[in-house]
Amino acid sequence: MTEEKKPEEKKKRKTATEAAGKIGPMVKAALAENLRAKEEGKPIAYSFIYSGYDEIIRAMDIVPAWTENYAGICGVKRDAQRFLERAEGENFSRSLCTYALCGLGFDSWREELGEMPPDPPWGGQARPTVMLGSGQVICDPRYKWYQAAQHYMPDVPVYVGGLPYPPYEEDYDYREVQDYYVKYIVEELRGLVEFLEKHTNRKMDWERLSQVVDISDRTWNMISEAYDLRKAVPCPMGTGDAMNTMVPMTFMMGTQEGLDFFKDLYDELKRKIANREGIIPDEKYRLLWGGGLPSWFALTDFNYFNSKGAVFPAEVTYRLVEPVYNLDLPRVSDPLEHLAWRWVRYWTYRHDRARKRPGSTPDVERLIEYIEDYKIDGVVMHEAFSCRSWHPGLIWQLNQLKRVYRDIPSLVLESDIVDISSYNEADTRARIDAFIDTLEAVKSR
Amino acid sequence: MKGQYFAGVDIGSTMTKVVIMDEATLASVIGPTGPEHRKLANRVMEEALGRAKLAFDEITYVVATGYGRINVPFADRQITEISCHARGIAHLLPEVRTVIDIGGQDSKGIKLRDGRAVDFVMNDKCAAGTGRFLEVAAESLGVSLEEMGRLSLEAENRVEISSTCTVFAAQEVVAKLSEGAALADIIAGLHEAIATRIYGMVRRLKIEREVALTGGGAKNIGLVKALEARLGFPALLPPEPLLTGAIGAALLGRDIVKEAEEKGEKLKISPRRLTEATLFT
Repeated sequence: MTEEKKPEEKKKRKTATEAAGKIGPMVKAALAENLRAKEEGKPIAYSFIYSGYDEIIRAMDIVPAWTENYAGICGVKRDAQRFLERAEGENFSRSLCTYALCGLGFDSWREELGEMPPDPPWGGQARPTVMLGSGQVICDPRYKWYQAAQHYMPDVPVYVGGLPYPPYEEDYDYREVQDYYVKYIVEELRGLVEFLEKHTNRKMDWERLSQVVDISDRTWNMISEAYDLRKAVPCPMGTGDAMNTMVPMTFMMGTQEGLDFFKDLYDELKRKIANREGIIPDEKYRLLWGGGLPSWFALTDFNYFNSKGAVFPAEVTYRLVEPVYNLDLPRVSDPLEHLAWRWVRYWTYRHDRARKRPGSTPDVERLIEYIEDYKIDGVVMHEAFSCRSWHPGLIWQLNQLKRVYRDIPSLVLESDIVDISSYNEADTRARIDAFIDTLEAVKSR
Repeated sequence: MKGQYFAGVDIGSTMTKVVIMDEATLASVIGPTGPEHRKLANRVMEEALGRAKLAFDEITYVVATGYGRINVPFADRQITEISCHARGIAHLLPEVRTVIDIGGQDSKGIKLRDGRAVDFVMNDKCAAGTGRFLEVAAESLGVSLEEMGRLSLEAENRVEISSTCTVFAAQEVVAKLSEGAALADIIAGLHEAIATRIYGMVRRLKIEREVALTGGGAKNIGLVKALEARLGFPALLPPEPLLTGAIGAALLGRDIVKEAEEKGEKLKISPRRLTEATLFT
């Protein structure tokens, strides 16, 4: 049976930083903690990264299970196909988000067996107490995924929220409407607290929540300051590593462990810069990962870029923070209100800048900012076929960038986040080779 | 560079091309790419040498390109087809700023500045938008690939082919035939469908005139006309569109040798042997 097949695991990717090298064991430990929590009867919440719920979950001592991450792990281990096929067998469409498809395949299998599917990657994903959906606007499947999972776990309650933010328009100022958004978000978060209190028998400790929010604010600042160090030439850390360090950024927000990780990363990057220690000894091209989730099963492509003299000092993917001190947040005593303001101000951070450049948008402004700050020679994006919410806009962004800013060499890779059948290493590397040729041609002009 | 000879070997997914040049093209050979690239590269090279009346050890430098470029054991250097096409077109049609290459299994757009590729787009994921699309359709229609272009010009009432997938388009073609649509009208519809896909991809580059069409697709007059209609102006065609990459490869070989001579550097040259490669060589 195809479902029983376990493919050969890919060799471990070489990382540039010690910090990125710690991530594998960290993720493994987090999964083990979930399984242990299950045995100890602690509440487990299926959760989505960057839903805005992190601090609440942590303050209530609920154990988060990051379902997108588990699908990503299956992808990294090149062991997602059997779960994708399982979900397809349940009649879910192949064009659905493959994180969702993989997760639903896993859940349906675990529920059918009453135990983990055979030989699950890193021990498997524990059955949750609650599922916290999030319609955070970049990703529509996050509304429906857990509702679909309820087919297999009808006894597990779902909370579906979704924190909105003012959309960008050239001819209006978000400040006119921001108060409405803040009020709405606060109500959504309060609803989440009530839901969790009801279904997990935990009471919110509001003092504890304030402390957790303070830790996450400091983590936002620490991440920003550490990542800013990558402006150095030679660059001490690339996007390949950032696809690892997204773990503490997204899965440990509001924890001391997450904050400490980025303090350590900051110190390590400082050390590397002092020693002029780059990702590669002879850095020829500096590239921006301009959008799209990576192919988790092909992170070694970043090393292939390195072998051609190219490094990625910056990426827009998984850089989900700005320095809090730059967001001009009002002083409020309610931690939920603080979270709401931080959310709205993060998403409107580049509105003013975009309005000054006709035809631009906040997303395009971010590309321009990184191109200038990180001395970028070219932009690489990845269109993952199953990530419908984000990737269709990438080409448009690239075109706008070239229209309102300058004609910069670009490469659009095509594959998927989890579905390895969409990937062809030889074709991908042929494209990278050709892209390197164009970078060389542009540089030598 | 008098007395020096350069070879360009372009192993595409469907056709293998070899060009031998000194100051001008001395010989060229085009043959089908089979599953055994290395064996075929040897044979086509041998034939080209025969036509140029040269022994292999008289060739100064060999550059391989195309998707099978790593399977040319006698090449001195492998260079991407993007760079080779750019170099080839810059030599053949220097006024060109955008190249549209329609190959057997992929299609690409290349933006040129000062004779070098500065941006590109590529479709290698889906057969629709490549020569394979027409090949499959020709099989369904019982028409040879060579006839397709000419027949499409006879269309009076072009049929809309709505399927973007090659497999489904082939089914749609059969359905249109059974509905009584004229062969020429269906073929014109197929050309329109492929031109739409290619144009949609290449326009990401901000197309600039002049535009050259290369690859096997450029030998299909129906496809050329459909693309020109999309572009809104006539495209330029090299004398033999299939040879652009191989000519570029030979010219890049010449550039490499010239630069090395100017710098006084010694280039690494592969053994000039055309014995059949085995798995262990």
